[in-house]
Amino acid sequence: MRIREHPILEFERGREVEFDFDGRRLCGHEGETIAAALHASGVRVLRKSIRHGRPRGFFCAIGRCSSCLMTVDGVPNVMTCVTPLRRGMKVETQTGKGTLAAEAKGAGSIAGDGSGSDLGTVPLAIVGAGPAGLSAAVYAGRLGVESVVVDENEVPGGQLIKQTHMFFGSLEHYARVRGVDIGTQLCRELEKCPSKLLTGTTVLGLYTDDPPWKTLSLMKNGVRGELRARTVVLATGASENMLAFENCDLPGVYGAGAVQTLMNVYGVAPGERVLMVGAGNIGLIVGYQLLQAAVDVAAVIDAMDEIGGYHVHAAKIRRMGVPILTSHTILSAGGTDRVERATISRVDSDWQPVEGTERTIDVDTICLAVGLTPNCELASMAGCDDEYVPELGGLVSAHDADLETSVPGVFIAGDASGIEEASTAMLEGRLAGLAAVERLEVEVDREKLLAMKEEAASGLSELRAGPFGDRPRLGKERMLALAASRGGDR
Amino acid sequence: MRTSADCVIIGGGVVGTAIAYYLAKRGMTDCVIVEADYLSSGATGRCGGGIRQQWSTEANTRLAIESVRLFAGLEDELDADIEFLQGGYLVLAYTEEDEEQFKKNVELQRGLGLDVQILSPADINEKVVPELNVEGVRMATYCAQDASANPFLTTQAYADAARRLGVSIELFTPVTKILTERGRVAGVETARGTIRAPLVVNAAGSHSVPIAATAGIDLPITPYRREILVTEPLERFFHPMIISFSFGIYFRQVKHGAVIGGYGDPAEPPGFNETSSLKFLRTMSWKLSHLMPRLNNVKVVRQWAGLYDMTPDAQPILGELDELPGFFQANGFSGHGFMICPKVAVLLAQAITGEEPDLDIERLSARRFTDGRITQDRSVV
Ligand SMILES: Cc1cc2nc3c(=O)[nH]c(=O)nc-3n(C[C@H](O)[C@H](O)[C@H](O)COP(=O)(O)OP(=O)(O)OC[C@H]3O[C@@H](n4cnc5c(N)ncnc54)[C@H](O)[C@@H]3O)c2cc1C
Ligand SMILES: Cc1cc2nc3c(=O)[nH]c(=O)nc-3n(C[C@H](O)[C@H](O)[C@H](O)COP(=O)(O)OP(=O)(O)OC[C@H]3O[C@@H](n4cnc5c(N)ncnc54)[C@H](O)[C@@H]3O)c2cc1C
Repeated sequence: MRIREHPILEFERGREVEFDFDGRRLCGHEGETIAAALHASGVRVLRKSIRHGRPRGFFCAIGRCSSCLMTVDGVPNVMTCVTPLRRGMKVETQTGKGTLAAEAKGAGSIAGDGSGSDLGTVPLAIVGAGPAGLSAAVYAGRLGVESVVVDENEVPGGQLIKQTHMFFGSLEHYARVRGVDIGTQLCRELEKCPSKLLTGTTVLGLYTDDPPWKTLSLMKNGVRGELRARTVVLATGASENMLAFENCDLPGVYGAGAVQTLMNVYGVAPGERVLMVGAGNIGLIVGYQLLQAAVDVAAVIDAMDEIGGYHVHAAKIRRMGVPILTSHTILSAGGTDRVERATISRVDSDWQPVEGTERTIDVDTICLAVGLTPNCELASMAGCDDEYVPELGGLVSAHDADLETSVPGVFIAGDASGIEEASTAMLEGRLAGLAAVERLEVEVDREKLLAMKEEAASGLSELRAGPFGDRPRLGKERMLALAASRGGDR
Repeated sequence: MRTSADCVIIGGGVVGTAIAYYLAKRGMTDCVIVEADYLSSGATGRCGGGIRQQWSTEANTRLAIESVRLFAGLEDELDADIEFLQGGYLVLAYTEEDEEQFKKNVELQRGLGLDVQILSPADINEKVVPELNVEGVRMATYCAQDASANPFLTTQAYADAARRLGVSIELFTPVTKILTERGRVAGVETARGTIRAPLVVNAAGSHSVPIAATAGIDLPITPYRREILVTEPLERFFHPMIISFSFGIYFRQVKHGAVIGGYGDPAEPPGFNETSSLKFLRTMSWKLSHLMPRLNNVKVVRQWAGLYDMTPDAQPILGELDELPGFFQANGFSGHGFMICPKVAVLLAQAITGEEPDLDIERLSARRFTDGRITQDRSVV
């Protein structure tokens, strides 16, 4: 199932290594994730669910959903969708809750407090090296302000690293550039800044009980560290939504981002024939990328009565013979330990399935592109208030026009502050980075700072004035009104 | 929302819902639970779920024994799974004072019919938890009938059973004022309207203080943050709740497999702060891995905090107030309200409906703070 030929991508695979899977010798490439290597060898079932013993595969492929937990080298509950493969690894299907190996001696002692290694202090810490986080660092850096950018992935770029399509002419200098290349460009600009990038490092917690410091608890390769920052920009992106239907947990039901990761980052085809659920931009784009990777797309369905995404995207996949069925939903997936078929039906104007219109199609993969939810766990841990704004993707940290949350000095930007797109994420990151600099009260060219902020803010209004900007614009307006109604409690 | 009832219960924690259930069971079905947020949103949903009978005073031990008896029958009575498990409590002594106190406790507890064992460090490993690191442990007491349950499920089970008997529950409805008339309680004012009632129960945890204050009543309760964490789920590898007052820790493995536990920081300032601290995470991980080396590399999935509603003698305040007839208190549980909840709720329901309570609750009335009849229990974590 490895993609050998691709019209635009060349896969730089690591050297081939052997590993052990439930007693079998399998091959994979160093650097790819365990889940990707297994998928390439045809293994979809990674674990059995705890309560009912149901087979489970991965769903999100970005370390969010816990569907891919396996026992690796004796350690249970390892997220195989983000853990890189190494030679000789012993990977086991996890059937229960997992058991930790008994150890002779505790790491702790009666005295002492288990501190992590001290990583010092920094004026600005940024969580997430997607377009928002990288932009925040670059623009703060242009004013000479130091920052540390932390991302759990080995490769910076966030969602961009899997986006092989050319971006739309939304932002003058990035129009017609492929998403993957935008990430590379941002990283190159970052190199010119007084900024440090910590990759493969997860931010486990954000603590605000030592004002004015914000303490980030970090973990890299099992080793914990602590970084204290005066200001923080949270650019943690979003997680893919699940949809409830019969057998929606069968291996082979994947999020669109997961399919993109598998296919565009690791060069592994998700299956042979896919049903795409969701005809927004993400569904349409990933549908097209599947065709590019020579995977058959049976249909794209959407419960709405019209296509949500750009019509150019829709036209592209229609031209290749893929039907787009609006007013359709998925009722169930079928198969014993992997998806073998899907049953879809029409829906009426109340989104209820119309009896007698059910249809079963043979597919081995069901791809869900049904929206994203902002990742605001760190913000809520830091004590930031949140608001429910459906137009922004659900619960979002309350923020003002400068993207500052209810906790002074903590900013939120990009998909984490409301689901939009990469171009707005970059501008929001820029604005949040600059607003953080303003908060810091360091010596900078103030006029220049304000002009730069103004430029970012007007860029955002311009983007949101476009035809697809209605929803986020409404969402952001509601958020500002809600945040204001909470009063000037800062 | 209704505008009148026989009884209004403020607070949808385990205490409020249990009182409503036992009232309805006694025939007082015209009750309303008024909860500011959602069920179990207060201390209940944040607690460790431990149910201990090993106390140092006779009254508390009796209350706990009776509660365990009720807990053991609760799944049948309420027709719901509450994950009740008699996995025992292992109480570790690290100091001489611990040791002396524990010996006295055991004598008292055995006198009340509780089966408590005194274990040497070697016994602990042989008989109860093979992997426990007993370095520095002088001895332990162990009661196999001590237990645990899931606080969310327990509260939901009480609430559902109460509803089936006719009780109504108003969520997201904060009480803003206690209404009084001619020296008696007359109902509550809420953010969604007024409910008139001749009986009002204040079961709002630490928030009982500002609520009582609206009727000019000063409750001697101080809130303190208590932090707690939970790990990834693991196959069961130990059964009891393990606690120590002097080492400062409690932890157990819940049915789902996760290890849950915490400790109280003696330096914690009073207040309504419910945020999490890095200090807690560090210290707690350190303590856990010391006692259970197997947990050296366990993944912590979440940490959070809740409030202990501490009274001067770490005992709850129960019963009607002299200064405002009809206004009952069920608060000040001082960090152990879950384990004694079933019996306390029965006793309150008895008092409210005019029955003679079958255990003495007079000793826990607010009166004790004015007439100086305070006895301190030494077994509080
Ligand atoms: C299929 C698809 C197609 C798209 N097409 C377009 C398009 O054509 N045009 C467009 O403008 N947009 C497009 N987008 C949207 C765009 O990718 C996102 O809006 C953008 O990537 C959001 O940027 P971000 O920086 O907010 O978050 P992300 O890019 O998601 O980056 C967040 C980063 O933070 C990291 N992170 C999160 N939590 C932690 C933590 N605790 N510790 C360490 N690291 C953490 C994540 O791993 C990630 O690397 C598309 C998205 C998808 C899924
Ligand atoms: C970390 C921690 C661990 C603990 N571990 C244990 C343990 O192992 N064993 C044990 O027995 N106990 C334990 N406890 C103590 C136990 O949780 C409490 O004693 C018990 O849950 C008290 O229940 P309650 O119903 O009185 O209070 P709560 O659960 O706090 O309920 C009070 C309710 O009142 C509501 N409320 C507040 N203000 C208003 C208002 N104005 N109007 C309406 N409603 C309002 C709140 O929203 C809340 O839901 C622990 C507590 C903590 C914090």
